[in-house]
Amino acid sequence: MKIAMVTEGTYPYSFGGVSVWCDQLIRGMPGCDFSLMAIVATGAERMVWSLPDNVTAVNKVPLWGAPPAGPTMRYRNAVPDYLLREFIDSLLDTSTEAQSRFADLLRELFEFSKHGNLSAALGSDKAIRLLSEAWRERPPGPRETAPTLHDAISAMQLLDHSLRPSCHPLPQADLAHAVTNGLAVLPALAAKWRYGTPMIVTEHGVYLREQYLQNRTSPYRWPVKAFHLSFMRRLCALGYSEAAAITPGNVYNRRWEEHLGAEPARIRTVYNGVDPADFPALSGEPDLPTISWVGRIDPIKDLETLVRAFSLVVQEMPTARLRLFGSPPKGREHYLERCQALTADLGIAGSVTFEGRVENIRDAYDAGQIVALSSVSEGFPYSLIEAMICGRPCVATDVGGVTEAVGDTGLVVPPRSPKRMARACLTLLQNHDLRRQLGAAARTRALNNFTVDGAISAFGEIYGLVGAALPRPTAPIRVTIEDPSGILLPRKAAE
Amino acid sequence: MTAGTAAERSRTQVPPAASDVTRPPVIAAADAEARDLAELCEQFIGVCESAVDPLEISSALEFDGLNDQAVRALYGFSDVFALGEEMYRRVPRRPAEPEPVADPWRISKLRSAMHGLIYGLPAVCFPAASGLLNGPGALRVLVIALLSSWALSQGLAHLGYARLGLSDANPAARVLLPGMTAGTGATGLVMTLTAQTEHVDLPVLAFGFGLGAYMLGATVLMVLGAERLLLLVLAPAVLGSATFLALGRPHYLEYAAWGALAATPMLALGLATWRAGHESGLFGRRHGKGAKSREDAGRLITAADLRGALPSAGFGLVVAGLLVFPVAAALPGHPNTGAVVASLPLALSMGAAEWTLVWFRRRTQRLLRATREVSAFAYWARLALLIALLRYLTAAVLLTAAAVAVATAAQLIHPHWAIAPQIAAYLALGGAMFVALLLQAFGSRLFPLMTCTAALAFEVLCRAPRVLGQLTVCVGLLVVLICYAALVLGKAIRHAC
Repeated sequence: MKIAMVTEGTYPYSFGGVSVWCDQLIRGMPGCDFSLMAIVATGAERMVWSLPDNVTAVNKVPLWGAPPAGPTMRYRNAVPDYLLREFIDSLLDTSTEAQSRFADLLRELFEFSKHGNLSAALGSDKAIRLLSEAWRERPPGPRETAPTLHDAISAMQLLDHSLRPSCHPLPQADLAHAVTNGLAVLPALAAKWRYGTPMIVTEHGVYLREQYLQNRTSPYRWPVKAFHLSFMRRLCALGYSEAAAITPGNVYNRRWEEHLGAEPARIRTVYNGVDPADFPALSGEPDLPTISWVGRIDPIKDLETLVRAFSLVVQEMPTARLRLFGSPPKGREHYLERCQALTADLGIAGSVTFEGRVENIRDAYDAGQIVALSSVSEGFPYSLIEAMICGRPCVATDVGGVTEAVGDTGLVVPPRSPKRMARACLTLLQNHDLRRQLGAAARTRALNNFTVDGAISAFGEIYGLVGAALPRPTAPIRVTIEDPSGILLPRKAAE
Repeated sequence: MTAGTAAERSRTQVPPAASDVTRPPVIAAADAEARDLAELCEQFIGVCESAVDPLEISSALEFDGLNDQAVRALYGFSDVFALGEEMYRRVPRRPAEPEPVADPWRISKLRSAMHGLIYGLPAVCFPAASGLLNGPGALRVLVIALLSSWALSQGLAHLGYARLGLSDANPAARVLLPGMTAGTGATGLVMTLTAQTEHVDLPVLAFGFGLGAYMLGATVLMVLGAERLLLLVLAPAVLGSATFLALGRPHYLEYAAWGALAATPMLALGLATWRAGHESGLFGRRHGKGAKSREDAGRLITAADLRGALPSAGFGLVVAGLLVFPVAAALPGHPNTGAVVASLPLALSMGAAEWTLVWFRRRTQRLLRATREVSAFAYWARLALLIALLRYLTAAVLLTAAAVAVATAAQLIHPHWAIAPQIAAYLALGGAMFVALLLQAFGSRLFPLMTCTAALAFEVLCRAPRVLGQLTVCVGLLVVLICYAALVLGKAIRHAC
């Protein structure tokens, strides 16, 4: 079976949960050939994973690099006025009817991009004029934030860069697997419209939700933000409605997917899994009462709450230790410094250790009697299921798929609540029997539900169903005569 | 926009601890009482006012730890989405403006004036070197040296700036160093070839080579933003020449003056090598990054880069040609005083040109943020273009007047009205160069190159009515360029950055 997999900002160019998942999936299916398309930021990214043998090609698609050269410059501005105008209007129109218009127009733009330079068309003076005219017809927001020409340029630039992946066609495959919604579905949609390739969309976090959160601090004015998020919302809704199967990483995500119009029957939750062989049950416990934490040191992990909670724990158990395993992402070390300053301010610097990255992650779980997770946002965190499969009881915040993972084998507390977290930690640290009982239950739960084999067999089944249910090629696919030649071949990654 | 405030508020918003930690799964707020929706709206006021749709509010609520169960228990809504919709309905839109970003086009007048000095100061060296340059064919060697060094340094500057735009100074420095070495080699080759055909004296060749070496080193220092070092480079030649000239060219100081002249190109190459080497990590870092950079250096300049640098090199060549042709074409024994007097202020005025260019860019950036219609922008942008040209020309006229006044006071020249057309021609050429610079800054490189080439070709071909011909060509060039600029720079998209 040939799978065209599309990633954005993850595998194989960066570390992190989604990349681990991709690697596991590909290695777990040696019978399938994977061709990867990786959407990246600038194109200067370096590959950080060694690729499995069944990866046949990697195509790196930068969003912000130089614009793709159009097939021919003669057609530079050949995108018809009506198409651009209508497409823009479908993004400004807030009625529900606009979603289907958006889908049709996006498809027409794809057709255009096969023989014209979409990037040049979106970056033309005409496009700016059309958007500013459309804004006058449908004024976005209140009068004080009326859009300027600068906003029109910014909005069209964002649209241009967002649509870049659609100019890079996927190779013909049995199915296209977008491992996130949003921009990654653009090439998959193109393949679907062109060859009838069925599409699977996997979501670990909710793409659209992350877009909303990111744009809260964007440097753009409101009309630009509204335009961009409208595009993202329409695109995500289209991704859900065109997907043959949607596989969220937890049940929690389903709510968003269904809210955006995904058909419930096509949604199947597949939990992340870990390899039990890598995580045999831990036998002993450390001598001192110790809380262990594993992850990337980042504000989203809300380590400050954990540190504050720990300062309350120390008041009752002066010998308690907090050991934090992990490092901050490059260039964002200031959060680590903030957390270190906080431990000093609270007078617990002697009991809290920042351990950095560990060679063997299991040692990090071994270091604590309990494992804590204080994040304000999570999909289905690996650190939690890894701790569980080791047999360590967890205290975790009630975010994303955490309750689904922990079930009744650990303690779940509201996020950003040091007191609650402290009390939960103390409950476990002071009760050896409860720890042992919950740890054993956690291991059983993880072995039954969250193994890598389980995840891979679920995807094997989905691949089989999706690949078989839609025989290719389906009924006449629009406009495939234009170019039987080389344009469709994947561009080789600019390595 | 509102990040931070939301996080701060949330600390007070987390449900009060009621009982002991319940056996899991603990619902975030199952044990709390119903809350007031108005209070929640107040807590999330920033998010609600700036939200583009209800989903943005729902995202923020979830991010703050409110999930469906908590929403049902606390506020009686079916889920986070329903609550978000209600809050979107309740709070009117009043979006916060984003933080103003730092103006990337800030450039101080001092820096521009320094650039003007850097362009103009070398002019002092030519009269001081006249003792060196009186051999046969000296003029031709000088012209060749000038043309080749302008072309090479413009091409090199393009390569450097293209890298500088991509990221930090490091890759630029790594391109500049081999570029400068190759350019110096090319200058040496050109001078050697010239010596084969012209049979000129060694000092003339050395001067020509020094000129080329200085231009390349100065380009490296300019691209890397080391203007102060460049002033240091210029110091020996300029101070030496000025002293020599001020003392009335005493014979016993001739060798000292030439020594000072020779010091400048050597300093330029030396300091440029040091600076570029330092920035690219060539020196001082033996392990890790530095070593890696050197590995990559091989791929630094691609054929595409060289093709990209060609228009710049060509433009440098043509502009040098336009500048020196009237001087070079003068009949032996009848030096073109007007051209000599006008070219120095023209070089100085390039500082003013740079500053005016930045003024224009800032003006149009403000316009983009103040206009809503493409046609209104076109009108105001063209007006700004005209004002920019007038500003530049005013500066150039003032500088020229000052130069004539100083030269007259020092009794270097005896001005008469006959040189007026020559000076006017140079002013028009300055205006044309300013507009060409502007066009290049806005991404239009081929048109200025083609029109300037055509102008030079015309001058060379029709050299009969010299001054008048030059005046006509330069004014024509200015008119064509300004019309084209009005056409191109009236488009809003051209000002996207």
